[in-house]
Amino acid sequence: MHRLFRWSSKWWPGLIPLAILWVAAAWTATVPLEADLTAHAAAALKDSVLDKATIATAGRDITFSADAFSEQGRSSAVASVEAVPGVRLVNDLTTLVPETKPFVWAIERDVAKVTLSGSVPLPVVRTKLLEAARTTFAGTEIDDRMNFSRSAPSRFEAAAALLIAQVGKLKTGKIAISDATVTLSGMARELGGREAIAAALKNLPEGYSVANEIHAPPYIFEANKDPVAATLTLTGYVPDNAVHAAIVASAGRKFFGEKVIDKLKASVGEPANFTEVVTRMLGVLSRLSTGTLVVSDRNVSISGDALYDAAGSQIRADLPKGMPQGWQAKAEVSVKPAAAPVDSTVCQQLFADLLGKGAIRFETGRPTLDADSVGLLDRLTETALRCPTATIEVVGHTDSDGGDSFNQTLSERRAQAVVDYMVKAGMPADRFKPMGYGSAQPVAANDTDEGKAKNRRIDFIVRQ
Amino acid sequence: MVYLAMFHWGWLLAALLLGFAMGWISVVQRGQGITKKAAQWLAVPIVALIVAAVTRAVPGRFGYWLDLGLAMLVAYLVGCAIGSWLRDRVVSRQAATGRSGGATV
Repeated sequence: MHRLFRWSSKWWPGLIPLAILWVAAAWTATVPLEADLTAHAAAALKDSVLDKATIATAGRDITFSADAFSEQGRSSAVASVEAVPGVRLVNDLTTLVPETKPFVWAIERDVAKVTLSGSVPLPVVRTKLLEAARTTFAGTEIDDRMNFSRSAPSRFEAAAALLIAQVGKLKTGKIAISDATVTLSGMARELGGREAIAAALKNLPEGYSVANEIHAPPYIFEANKDPVAATLTLTGYVPDNAVHAAIVASAGRKFFGEKVIDKLKASVGEPANFTEVVTRMLGVLSRLSTGTLVVSDRNVSISGDALYDAAGSQIRADLPKGMPQGWQAKAEVSVKPAAAPVDSTVCQQLFADLLGKGAIRFETGRPTLDADSVGLLDRLTETALRCPTATIEVVGHTDSDGGDSFNQTLSERRAQAVVDYMVKAGMPADRFKPMGYGSAQPVAANDTDEGKAKNRRIDFIVRQ
Repeated sequence: MVYLAMFHWGWLLAALLLGFAMGWISVVQRGQGITKKAAQWLAVPIVALIVAAVTRAVPGRFGYWLDLGLAMLVAYLVGCAIGSWLRDRVVSRQAATGRSGGATV
């Protein structure tokens, strides 16, 4: 040992080349060493869930910054970097992803692109939502402006994925989650889109509330009465096949002289009280000589020519009455020029023609005029106006059902109801003679429903 | 430290060989080495550097270079010790051979 000390006193000259060696080693090895440590640290963090992770290496010291999604994840990530072989010190600049109140996430669709913004709780959720958006909006630019926040409401991912699918049904619009409140605005791509979205929103996870302000293209129903072609053309939408059949049947009863051309299509999205309003408005249209009915959402517009002055006034005055709440009606009704007067024979023929095409209907067993017959009554009134000097017998008949006295009274009261309608239209009451024959003058056998229907009738007989 | 040794094995080997050569020479070198007092003075900064390295007081690249320098110094000293010891054995054997050879002549 003593000799070792003696020899060591002569080792110092080697320190000079050693120092040169050291400088050379430091000069050449520093950058590769740093790169190696950075690669190993990055590999160690491969399974850690982090945002904005950066690793800066100086010598063997690592400055590690990242946003973690939980305290456990944060400390685990730091420990992983510290455990990398060769690392001397870890400068821990990690933080937790902030909590935001309220937690807001939104998806917005405009003409050019789809923008996802707001907060998501985890990178994996962000990836899934972006994938869902790319699938839903294939071919459309997706603009990802999402960032992270830890305060997401429960089952956020399921809710957001469902909402992305709903935005696919919009032409333009925005859907946002603010804590557990979902707000929707915009314009649906198709008729019924609003209803389809509302139905889908029922599948939102429990606890979410919805404010749905989606608009849809107008729900349009049109009816055009063409007296030249003797057609009634129905176009637009009806809610379903049952309503479709009911409206076409109603049109068939109201427009006794016209062929109904049915071009209606079924679609959801109808406004409330749609069927009621359309049925009533078809009745109004049936009173016009020529006219068009347009129902657009809750706006009703009817235009055309009434058959006589009083009918025009009645239509204009009655149209707004009884409209359901939220509906608006507008009438642009003029009056058809009065037709030339005719003599009694022609007048009788005109009445016979009209009553041959359609019958005046009443409520079963009662003298109340059926609303479906108003168009026919207006035509009869118009005809009566063309023979102003004639006296007209309005004769009621019934089928054989019921007792004779009941039928007699019913036939008289029904004839009176028709006369009352004409008087209300401005005709002098003394021109009409209401009469009733009960079931005494059948025109067909009363043993079939068809025969009974023929026997339930009002006849117009023109007297000089 | 294992990582440091594995990553710089070439440089440490070079320091070891340098030390071996220096140790080999130092056994037969004539003249005085550094004095004991000078060695003590020299030890002071080296101890200080060791303390700095162990306590990780020097940050970043300078800390790494300090570790590297000290590791190379250790390799050098180990090389010196091996070199001196082996040379001493060789010299002793030659001296013993010389004496026994002289006696037989």
